[in-house]
Amino acid sequence: MAMKKRRYALVIDSRKCINCKACVVACKAENEVPIGNFRNWINEDRQGEYPKLRIDFEPEQCHHCEHPSCARVCPTGATWQRKDGIVLVNYDECIGCRYCMIACPYDARYFHEESGTVHKCTLCNHRVDKGDVPACVATCPSKVRVFGDLEDPASRIHELLATRRYRVKEPQTGNGPQLYYLL
Amino acid sequence: MHEFNWGLLIVVYLFLGGLSAGLFFAAGLANYLEVAGQPAYPRIARMGALLAPWPVAIGSGLLILDLGNWYRFYKLFTHFRWESPMSIGSYLLTIFTGIAFVYAFAWLPEDWRQKLFSKVPATWKQVHRLNVDISAHRKTIAMIGFPFSIGVGIYTGVLLGAVSARPFWNTNLVAQMFLFSALSSGAAALLLAMVLDKRNPIETHETKFLITLDIVFISLEFFIILPYLIHGSLSVLAVKQALWLILGGPYTVVFWVFFMGLGLLVPLGIEVYELAPSLLKGRAFHGNRRLALVASSLVLFGGFLLRYIFVYAGQLSSFHKMGGLR
Repeated sequence: MAMKKRRYALVIDSRKCINCKACVVACKAENEVPIGNFRNWINEDRQGEYPKLRIDFEPEQCHHCEHPSCARVCPTGATWQRKDGIVLVNYDECIGCRYCMIACPYDARYFHEESGTVHKCTLCNHRVDKGDVPACVATCPSKVRVFGDLEDPASRIHELLATRRYRVKEPQTGNGPQLYYLL
Repeated sequence: MHEFNWGLLIVVYLFLGGLSAGLFFAAGLANYLEVAGQPAYPRIARMGALLAPWPVAIGSGLLILDLGNWYRFYKLFTHFRWESPMSIGSYLLTIFTGIAFVYAFAWLPEDWRQKLFSKVPATWKQVHRLNVDISAHRKTIAMIGFPFSIGVGIYTGVLLGAVSARPFWNTNLVAQMFLFSALSSGAAALLLAMVLDKRNPIETHETKFLITLDIVFISLEFFIILPYLIHGSLSVLAVKQALWLILGGPYTVVFWVFFMGLGLLVPLGIEVYELAPSLLKGRAFHGNRRLALVASSLVLFGGFLLRYIFVYAGQLSSFHKMGGLR
């Protein structure tokens, strides 16, 4: 029997984000991210001056692109993409040249000093493979993030993208980002 | 603040790689030129051939040191990924370095070669079998090496230009800019080396050849930088904003005063000043030693600065700015 095709992605309803940074903390704890490095973060877009002030919060992380430029430029193939779309780094093959960090339009990667390799969001593949959701999704108190399989018509993520308007960031780089921001 | 993933080691490597490519190209060219059946510039050809392999060898060493895991550099050669400029470049660089060393060996004076092999223990017979005169094959080796030297010169630009995420680099002009800068650095380095070699003082016709070569390369470089600036200013917003880094932003002074001024136009001016009277008015070419020294040093300085500006400013350019947490 043929394997069912999967394409994991995240839908982000950033208007629900209250900038509590629980996702950032959960990610750091789950993935042992060193102090000073982040696999996810929250962009703050500040407009106006007090008292006429408006701040938008927008969580971001690796976009697990359809055509990841990080994987394309990697000279050893250490950065690779699973069939379900998750972009991963094979730490044993990474030589630490940091070309991928330069090629990422979202600056979503960091250099792991201790191992001399490049790390990034794995979409918590260790959890996903057990049928769980990524740590950032599980922890979010205001349910900003929806994780799911785009190929599954019954999924919440599929329904959201079919019924709501959304945008992706920097589509002009041709990377085909897979973080969908609801409008 | 955005941190720089690539720093000074990469800048130096890009410069040294280009320098070797330029040295090899100029030396190979000099090897082919003849006047009345006699080699026209044999001393330039030898000097260039003997110098060419060293900068790229040192540069490659720096490149390896810059890796997070330097001892894994061999993995570059256990994979080939045609989509990765760095993968292609690693092979190109290695092959070119090999050819440059063979070419230098072909130009090694007989007594130097014997001296070199006299240091090898007599029991190492396999090594001593390499003690052969291959000077008859110089032209063939140079011909094989030409495309690789051009390839290395272009590759250093492609490495940056192929990154679509950095609008400062992502134009098809960066590769050519780096190539002509490399070729001009090579010609200038040869001129500098010949001028500094006091035991065999440089001759007027040699100075004239190298200065002419450099004028051609600098001019080509200049006429690539010009469209780079014009196209960039007329391009989409991201490219326009990236160009601001050298048009008002933090790299403006170093670009215009130190690179364009001191590193490009001043040496070009000196070289034209030296050459023009002999070209236009038919006067004898004198070749002032001091001016040659100044001009060639400035060209090398400019070649280094071009890489410096591009590596650093390019990394600052981005479609995307990080949020409050970083």
